[in-house]
Amino acid sequence: MSRWIGKGIATGVRTTSFPDAQSLGEEGAASAIRPVWQSLTPVQALAAADLCPTAALEASGTQSKGELRFDAGACILCGRCTREFPAGFTRVADPRVAVRNRDHLRTTVKWGDGQPLAPASLREAADQVQQRAFHLFRRSLHIRHVDAGSCNGCESELQMMTSPYLDLHRLGLFFTPTPRHADALLVTGIVTQNMKAALLETYAAMPAPKLVIAAGACAISCGSFSSSSMSAGPLDQLLRVDAYVPGCPPTPQALLHGLLLAVERATERNQAAPDGTHGP
Amino acid sequence: MTRQLEQLVASGGLQVAWRRQDEAYAQCRQREFADQVSALARSATLSDLFVATVPPAPPRLTAVMQMVGDPAWLLLSTELATKAFPSLTPKLHAASWYEREILEMHGLEPLGHPAPGRLRLHNWPADHYPMRDLPFDVGSLSQLPRSNPGPAVTGQGVFQLPLGPVRSGPQESAEFLFFSGGEDIVEVDLRLGFKYRAIERLAEGQPADRAIQLAERLAGTSAFANGLAFTRAVERAIGSSVSTVDEHTRTLLAELERVHSHFGTIGRLAEATGLLVAASQYGLLKEEALRAAGRLTGHRYLRGVLCVGGMEIELEAGPRDELKTQVAGWVERSAGLKRLLEQTTTFTDRLDTTAILLPDYAAAHHVIGPVGRASAIDRDARRDHPYCAYHTVEFAVPTQADGDAEARFQLHANELVQSLRIMLQLLDSWPAGRERSAPPAGRAGSALGWAEAPGGETLHWVELDQEGSLLRWRARTPAAVNWHPFAHACGSGNNLTDFPVIEASFSISPAEFDR
Repeated sequence: MSRWIGKGIATGVRTTSFPDAQSLGEEGAASAIRPVWQSLTPVQALAAADLCPTAALEASGTQSKGELRFDAGACILCGRCTREFPAGFTRVADPRVAVRNRDHLRTTVKWGDGQPLAPASLREAADQVQQRAFHLFRRSLHIRHVDAGSCNGCESELQMMTSPYLDLHRLGLFFTPTPRHADALLVTGIVTQNMKAALLETYAAMPAPKLVIAAGACAISCGSFSSSSMSAGPLDQLLRVDAYVPGCPPTPQALLHGLLLAVERATERNQAAPDGTHGP
Repeated sequence: MTRQLEQLVASGGLQVAWRRQDEAYAQCRQREFADQVSALARSATLSDLFVATVPPAPPRLTAVMQMVGDPAWLLLSTELATKAFPSLTPKLHAASWYEREILEMHGLEPLGHPAPGRLRLHNWPADHYPMRDLPFDVGSLSQLPRSNPGPAVTGQGVFQLPLGPVRSGPQESAEFLFFSGGEDIVEVDLRLGFKYRAIERLAEGQPADRAIQLAERLAGTSAFANGLAFTRAVERAIGSSVSTVDEHTRTLLAELERVHSHFGTIGRLAEATGLLVAASQYGLLKEEALRAAGRLTGHRYLRGVLCVGGMEIELEAGPRDELKTQVAGWVERSAGLKRLLEQTTTFTDRLDTTAILLPDYAAAHHVIGPVGRASAIDRDARRDHPYCAYHTVEFAVPTQADGDAEARFQLHANELVQSLRIMLQLLDSWPAGRERSAPPAGRAGSALGWAEAPGGETLHWVELDQEGSLLRWRARTPAAVNWHPFAHACGSGNNLTDFPVIEASFSISPAEFDR
């Protein structure tokens, strides 16, 4: 046993300083894909919507007049659009992609009458996020996770949150085995017909006030499975959701950002904005 | 060349049609089918049994078989004229869960099956079959699927202890109903299917290239292997070739996936025995492997890089050298950790003789993957049915004889060594240039594709129409085979406190089973 202690000490501290800015994106993979409207032509926008295997990109209209709707909550980061139109779609390494409001993941651009693409409705939705008593959980948050029909990718990443690199315990965040002790319900998966009842029972067993976090494209929008008749979701049709963490699966840093955002310890970045830098 | 497989089939009086050099087809009458398959199974392995229906044609029952010493697959099929067929299970235990699935999903009854209970859709109305008819009326489903009576275990002081479907940590949903006399596990009734997403049904009508993303979502920790087996099935069906570089890249990434998955498996074993430092050490290794995957491909779970006819990405020399340095470090560190674990008695005592899966039982149920190899089943698709660039590298297929958790730990650790060895060889002999592969011969056809996933061989059978869209897709993942022996091994004289060790040592994903 003493050898293990020695091993642990010899390894040193490997924990990231996240959520500090200097350690962003060290996971090596993209956390989100974002359209660069200024570099897209209507032809490309229509073609990109055809490429998209989910409902993340949907277009209507023609070359002369139409619109493109982008939903980061349905994006599974397959990379088809970024490969075909590298200038029109960019991969975002910054893992701070979680939002409080579902609409913050959506944006629409229109074109027509000789005008180029322009974002039409960046929704001013900040006021729609009702202030709830979540600051109560700022110091410590106990999370009950429910897999409601995922592929195991999200669970693998959730397990990585407890690995030494991210070590979520240092931030006062804990997974709890019982819903009675839980402050937050973290849901992954499409909410299958078979898991719907178990999910709702778990939610009902939690004391109020309680948070709900939708993690991953499946929980947010059913992702790849939006046309499966086995889906009873997405989650926000069953429960009121307080934070959305896009990704397929979301990286551990993105999940951590989502948890901190839900308890107002982190700020939101507007996913729909072209440079993604300014919050609502 | 007269082939062993051909001789075997001919001994049953059947004609073999070679559709590809490693894929043979044979047909027989419905009433002969059970006898033929169980006769073949004396010297061959039943790797899959499935029904594919392309209306208006009648459903076709197909058995996929392989044998030691022949790299080919045999697909023996029969047309089902009636809604019932003679069950193979009384003669061939390995057919049991396949037949239960056929009954549950297609409504075709295996006559004489000893226990034709439900596998996935526990309290569903009897006359709904998701692979036969959709859309499904979901109005009646509003309670927990708990109504299925499990095997009734009675005796003085025997009680039931349910675990799941919502588990204690961030784990996948599955329900385990334990029958216990206090400490011991007398019997466990597995309830899977909570995560049933009907993936194969969803893919129907989609262009094959687009459905790769669905295959990659069968399970997160075997995303690449399942995507690869599916892509290869499509490529074989349409006669598409893949360039040498792309085959190399595929092999490298498949091994990288095995490495991160095995790091995770051993880490969970350490966690289950309370060795948190060891669990953290393997957690570090797994995170490093996932980050390496992210840097190489842009996705930590290697999704979105496969395409029909090749790869979407090209690995440059810089990142390859970086990976090589990293792999060399993993070789050394994982060897050191394995030594330390072997010297830690609190670890080895928990694993030793826990959840024994006897070689005889494993052989009778045609168990596959690391679980099978830990019970002396010496099969590995990478060696027995070479694909991608596996014929260019040297590696051993480790096996163990004891079949307990200790054997499964040793097996995962030894396999890790071989995977890292394969990666180093591939990185040392990277082919130059990138020739464009020739356009495929056609768009329609059907074929079998395979790959050795971290949990065992995964088999994907596809049928494409003239447009290159999927008519039917059958995914036989390793989890579809290995949950059955898991339930058996739980009841082999273990205590309830052994369960985390058992679960970690088997390392099977419910999502990969449920589909």
